Amino acid sequence: MRTLLSFFLLLSTIVANAQNAAPSWLESTLYGSGKINVVVGVVAIIILGIGIWLWRMDRRISNLERKS
Amino acid sequence: MKNWWKFLGIGLLLLASIAALRIPLAPALVHVSPDRIAPGTTDITITGYNTAFTSGALVKLVNEEQQVCATSVSVLDASHLTARFEVPAGMKANLTDVSVDDLIYTGALFTEGLGAGITSAVCPETYPAPASFTFPNRSILYESIRNLHFHVPMWFTMIVLMGISVFQSIKVLGNNSLDNDLAAEMAARIGLVFCVLGLITGALWARATWGAFWTNDVKLNGAAVTGLIYVAYLVLRGSVQDAHKRARLAAIYNIFAFMLLVLFLFVVPRLNAIDSLHPGNGGNSGFNDLDMDNSLRSIFYPAVLGWILVGCWMYDLRVRAARLANNLDR
Repeated sequence: MRTLLSFFLLLSTIVANAQNAAPSWLESTLYGSGKINVVVGVVAIIILGIGIWLWRMDRRISNLERKS
Repeated sequence: MKNWWKFLGIGLLLLASIAALRIPLAPALVHVSPDRIAPGTTDITITGYNTAFTSGALVKLVNEEQQVCATSVSVLDASHLTARFEVPAGMKANLTDVSVDDLIYTGALFTEGLGAGITSAVCPETYPAPASFTFPNRSILYESIRNLHFHVPMWFTMIVLMGISVFQSIKVLGNNSLDNDLAAEMAARIGLVFCVLGLITGALWARATWGAFWTNDVKLNGAAVTGLIYVAYLVLRGSVQDAHKRARLAAIYNIFAFMLLVLFLFVVPRLNAIDSLHPGNGGNSGFNDLDMDNSLRSIFYPAVLGWILVGCWMYDLRVRAARLANNLDR
């Protein structure tokens, strides 16, 4: 119980410190260069998503080939 | 040539995506320092974005009817310049606009004068720059305005696929066809793929513009609930053993699900009582001149059509694979 409590205390101090710290790597990446990296991220997410779908479709068709 | 629409989809997507990434943002003034000026000789540094400042730049302060022209301008590079002003003592304390040629930064700085106003100086005329094809340059959004062509088509595609799904479901109620039921299920599954992509891309965009991955925006929560409703549709299908019973039950549920989709994505966000961070919501109608620029529209609509066609292609593949699997199982 005490370890749990101290863990949460530690966690809360980390969170409190994080709020005071300089902009995180995420903020500096997203907000820099006119926020173009947001577009890069969005396009990457879409390509990754379609890629995962294609991968699953590929597996599905491989199964069909094995069955036939 | 029965596959023309697949070529059309990829072609539109290719052109729209290249245009969405390559068309430059309109020039704009993004930073003025200092943000408070007092009467006397003052140097003001102005930062532009996509601008082409030249040594002949005409810089002025505009405070309601009062105008002050810069006495000298030194241009550091295409996007930085320093202008020197003799700020008169009589200037009204007010938010003041700064303009460089035809670019205006509204409310750029505060003038600390206590005067009753000055007679406006007459600055040399500025001529508008020749019009070119650019995307609007809005503060907070900046380059991320390009996401309009990637994030929003995800939702359009999802709505079209859910529409196909409910159309197939209505057919199931009429003819009890298991093939229509299969089509309804697969359309909803592909629709969910686009829903997830829309949510994740939206979260990233929200982090960069609204400051958090998730906000309590009505449209966000509405979209999330819509996604969950369709997940529940798939769960419901999985819980019924008998195929014909499943088809009818799922069809009826699907009709309610689509009605809720329309409610959560189109009706609730537009109620006057609720404010939304999304443009075109919270009492406004969408797609008016304030929300969308014509240059954005001319790329946005091809992108939407391209994504819808690609979504339909994915749905087509999925249905054909599922039919094959059914035939092999038999």
